[in-house]
Amino acid sequence: MSEGLRFDTLAFLGLYLLIAALAMLLRLLPLDLMGGGWPGPDLLLCLTIGWLLRRPAHLPAPVIGLVFLIEDLLTLRPPGLWSLTVFLGTEFLRRREAVAREINLALEWAMVAAVMVAMTLAYRLVLAIVMVPQQQLDLSLIKLAFTVAAYPLAVVVLHFVLRVRKPATGEVDELGRRL
Amino acid sequence: MPSDRTNEADYVRPVRRLVIAVLVLVLGGMFLLWRIDSPRVERFRMAFVDAVVPNMDWAMAPVTRASRMVEDFRSYARIYEQNQELRRELQQMRAWREAALQLEQRNAQLLDMAQVRLDPQLTHVTGVVMADAGSPYRKSVLINVGARDGIIDGWAVMDGLGLAGRIAGVGQRSSRVILLTDSNSRVPVMLQPSGQRALVSGDNSTMPVLEFIEAPDDIRPGDRVVSASDGGVFPPGLLVGEVVQGPDRRLRVRLAADYGRLDFLRVLRSRPAERIDHSGALLRPLDGEGQPLDTAPEAPAGAADE
Repeated sequence: MSEGLRFDTLAFLGLYLLIAALAMLLRLLPLDLMGGGWPGPDLLLCLTIGWLLRRPAHLPAPVIGLVFLIEDLLTLRPPGLWSLTVFLGTEFLRRREAVAREINLALEWAMVAAVMVAMTLAYRLVLAIVMVPQQQLDLSLIKLAFTVAAYPLAVVVLHFVLRVRKPATGEVDELGRRL
Repeated sequence: MPSDRTNEADYVRPVRRLVIAVLVLVLGGMFLLWRIDSPRVERFRMAFVDAVVPNMDWAMAPVTRASRMVEDFRSYARIYEQNQELRRELQQMRAWREAALQLEQRNAQLLDMAQVRLDPQLTHVTGVVMADAGSPYRKSVLINVGARDGIIDGWAVMDGLGLAGRIAGVGQRSSRVILLTDSNSRVPVMLQPSGQRALVSGDNSTMPVLEFIEAPDDIRPGDRVVSASDGGVFPPGLLVGEVVQGPDRRLRVRLAADYGRLDFLRVLRSRPAERIDHSGALLRPLDGEGQPLDTAPEAPAGAADE
């Protein structure tokens, strides 16, 4: 694992952290104090999952857990639960990275949507079990729908702007190993 | 994970499992801890936010400024509506300003009355304007009070706010009021705040001329004009109007009385001011019979009074 952390990987990891910091900063900025309206999509989650399915080596599991834990802390969610859910979901997808390489975007989208739905349900279920007051079901369903709808957008941005693509056949990493 | 697709060393998988297990335990434990002992974890969260968020000031300043610029730019699109809105508001403000000026005038007048203490016997008779006997050359009106009501020639006439004219000709049941705008009207006034005396002389226009000003440089448009008791014609301190400068650069008076609507007029019963004919004598201490105690002519003035 440590051998895989070469400069290229580290640069992409840094890029991911930068984007995550920017996303959280935008959430924190006092731009829209009015509130109300519909909840927007969780773009950071879309980006993380899309990135993970393309280059899992860029995003080590602790980094994902840490980023979402920080988001938990900053956005006043119950600390740890959503990051744990995201962590488990991404680990599930990381195991299926080999599958994701061979399917097209529509199938990948369906798989990611299923994982997101499962994550939301699990999150709400745990909150209900420990009797934490939570947001209304329709709001979190709207947020889930937006997030699922925004996933192809994140993939397009990853593919064309950030140049994070699925490894082509015969592509090798910095150490010359096949991906 | 099919092992033939990953070129991992043998120790990687156990380490990865260990990391995952530790992370799951840490995150889940944190959540449970939060559920069990919420205040402590919330304190930790606040400490974390305190440590992180202020460091973002450098990022927030330009972003908030940029968003404000965008907001400003958007407001250009509404510039026409804004202009209209501002004009409407300006109109309202003008009305308010007018009201405030009038109130100020009245207030000043009331204050004057309170301080100067006009003759307490200064009462008034109110009459209704019967006819406007004016012509292009005579500005006068007839009111329905006359000698039967005790009206005497020369008394001052006011409408609600300011001096309107004076009585010139009294009949049994009616009397004639010669207005300040009449070309025969001359009224002594005092200009405030400079305190100069002048004469308001009508010239058949709506704004009579100010004449015989000692130092016209001290007068500026907007000064108050009140009546003066020079000549014993009018009680002092009645509001006449304010100074304006006409297009011919002569100083004129915009009358406070509303000449467009002279319906009710108020005739002030003024008494002729007491004349003081003899000059003052030396005051000396007196005894009980009023005789000077001290016959020495160079005795200093005492406090006794007659």
